[in-house]
Amino acid sequence: MAPNISIRKAKAMFDAFSVSLALIVFLTLFGQSIGVAMIAGTIVYLGIKGQDTSIAAETVLQGLYSGYTLLAVPLFILAADIMNVGSIADRLMKFSHALVGRFKGGLGHVNIVASIIFSGMSGSAVADAVGIGRVEIQMMTKGGHIPKSYAGALTAASATIGPIIPPSIPMVLYALVSDASVGYLFAAGILPGLLMASMLFAVNTWVSHRRNFPIDNSVPLSELPKVTVEAFPALMLPVILLGGIYGGVMTPTEAAAVAAFYALLVSVMLYRSVNLKQFFHTLLSSARSTASVGILIAGAIAFNYVITRENIPNVIAEYLAQFDFSPLGFLLIVNVLFLILGCFIEAGAILLIFVPILIPTVNALGIDLVHFGVVVVVNAMLGLITPPYGLLIFIVANITKEPLKAIVSDLMPFIGGLLIALAILTVWPDFVLFVPRLFGYQG
Amino acid sequence: MQFLAPLFSRIRQGFELLVAVLLGSMFAAFIIQVVFRYILNWPVGWTIEYVAVAWLWGILLGYAFVVRDEDVVRFDLFYNAFGQRARRGMTIVSGIVVAGIFLWALPKDFEFVTFMGVEKTAFMHMRFDILFAAYIPFVIAVIVRALWEVRRALRNEPENNGAQHFNPESESHV
Repeated sequence: MAPNISIRKAKAMFDAFSVSLALIVFLTLFGQSIGVAMIAGTIVYLGIKGQDTSIAAETVLQGLYSGYTLLAVPLFILAADIMNVGSIADRLMKFSHALVGRFKGGLGHVNIVASIIFSGMSGSAVADAVGIGRVEIQMMTKGGHIPKSYAGALTAASATIGPIIPPSIPMVLYALVSDASVGYLFAAGILPGLLMASMLFAVNTWVSHRRNFPIDNSVPLSELPKVTVEAFPALMLPVILLGGIYGGVMTPTEAAAVAAFYALLVSVMLYRSVNLKQFFHTLLSSARSTASVGILIAGAIAFNYVITRENIPNVIAEYLAQFDFSPLGFLLIVNVLFLILGCFIEAGAILLIFVPILIPTVNALGIDLVHFGVVVVVNAMLGLITPPYGLLIFIVANITKEPLKAIVSDLMPFIGGLLIALAILTVWPDFVLFVPRLFGYQG
Repeated sequence: MQFLAPLFSRIRQGFELLVAVLLGSMFAAFIIQVVFRYILNWPVGWTIEYVAVAWLWGILLGYAFVVRDEDVVRFDLFYNAFGQRARRGMTIVSGIVVAGIFLWALPKDFEFVTFMGVEKTAFMHMRFDILFAAYIPFVIAVIVRALWEVRRALRNEPENNGAQHFNPESESHV
C-alpha cells in the first residue's frame, strides 16, 4: 500500500497543470521562445495526463487553419511595411506640418497629427514607430532646438495611438481570445484614440512652454492646398478602410488586404517610390514578422487547450466572485495588474495569455466585452512605453541613439497624460461604446 | 560541419523566397476574393481556403527556416540580467529540455499528420495530411535550433539570440 500512497502524493504535488505551467515559466525565463515554451508545456501536460501528445499539434494546426480573423494580422503588417517603404510617410508629414506647425510646440503637434493619420492606416505601434516615427524624429530635431530624447519620447508616446485608432492588430488578437466582434472593437477605438491624442497635445503644449521650445518656421497657409493634394491619395486610405468595414462592404480581414493593395498601388503608380526588389524585401520582412508573432499565437492556442481543460477561467471567476468586486473595482484592478505586467512582458503575450483567463469574470460581472477590449489594449500599449521592458522605448532609442534614461525621463509626462486618458476610458464605458452603438452595437 | 554552411544558406534563401511568395499570393488571393465577391457579385470559396493554407505554411515554415534568432519573441529581461557564464548554462539546460520534449512528441505528431490523409478540404479537395505536413519540419527545426544553441553554448561561441542585438524592425509587430 505504501508506494501507492506516495505515488498519489507525488501526483497531487506534481499535477499536470502545475508542472506544465512551471515548465513554461522556466523555459521562458531561461531565454527560450515564448511560443515554443507554451507548446512544450502543452505537450508535457498531455503526457502527464496520459493523453495523446499529438493533441498539441492538432490544436495548433486546427486553430491556425480555422482562425480566419487572424489573417488580418499578416495583411496589416504588410500594409504598414509597404507604406513605410514608399513615400507615404513623408507626404503625410508635410501635410501635418502645414496643418499644425505654426503653433507653440508646433513640431510636437505635427508629430502627433501625423501619428493619428498614420494610425488610421496601420494597426501596429511598432510599425508606426519604425516607419513614420523615424521621419517624425528627423523632422523634429532638424532645427537643433528640440532635444533628440524629447523627440524620441513623443514619437514613442504617439505610436501607442496606432493600434487604438482602427485598424489594430492587438484588437484582432483580443477578438480571437474573447469572441468580441472585430468590427465593433475597431469602432470603439476611435474616440479613445483621439482622447489619447488630445492628452499628448496638452502635455506637449505644456512642456514646450516650460522648456521654451522655439516656434518653427511654419509652412504658409497658402501652401496648404498643394501639400493636401500631394498627400490626398494617402489620406484616402483610412476613409477606404473604415468606409469599407462600416459600410458593411468588407470584413476587417478583407479591408486589411485592400489597404495593403491600395498602399502598394499609391506607392507604385502615383508616388513611384517602390520597385519590385523593394516589394520582395517588404514581403520577406513582413513574412518574418508574421512568423514570429504567428508562433506566439500558436503557443497561446496550444496552451489555451490546457487552460480550458483545467477550467482555469471559471476557477478564477469563482475565486474572484467571493471578493464581491464591483465592475469598476475589477476594471481598476485589471488596469493595475496589466500596467505592471506591461512593464515586463510583451504586449502580444499579455493579450493572448492573460486576457482569456479573465474573460469569464468579465462576463460574470456584466462588463461589456468591447469596452473591456479597449481598456486592455490601451493597457498593453502603455506597456510598450513603460520601462524597463518597453519595446517602443528601445525602438526610438535605436533611432535617436540617445540613452534610454534620457528618453524615459522625457516620456514620463506623456505616460502621465495617457494614464489620465486610460482612467477616463475605464470609468466611462458610454464614451468608448458611443461609436459602436452608432453602427448598431447592442452592448 | 563548416562545409555545410553554403548548403544551409542556399536552403534558407529558397525558403525565404517560398515564404515571401506565400505571403504575396495570400495577399493576391484576398484581392481576388474581394473583387469577385463585391464587384462581380460571384463569391468564390477557394480563396478563403487558399489563404488559410498559405497562412499556416507561412508561419510554420517561416519559423522553421526564415525567422532569425533575434526575431524570436522572448522574455529576455531576466535572461539578460545574468553574466555570460550563467547564460551559457541556462541555454544548455533549457535547450536540451525543449529539444527533448519536441523529439519525444515527434513520432506521435507524425502519426497524427499522416492519419489526417483521410480528410480533404471543402473547396480545393486538398488532403489534410499534405496541408498539415508543414508541422513536421517545424518540429524538427525547433529541435535542431535548440540543439544548435546548446552546441554554441558548450563551445563558448558568441551568442546569437537577441541578447546582444536588438532588431526592432522585425519584432512581433504588436
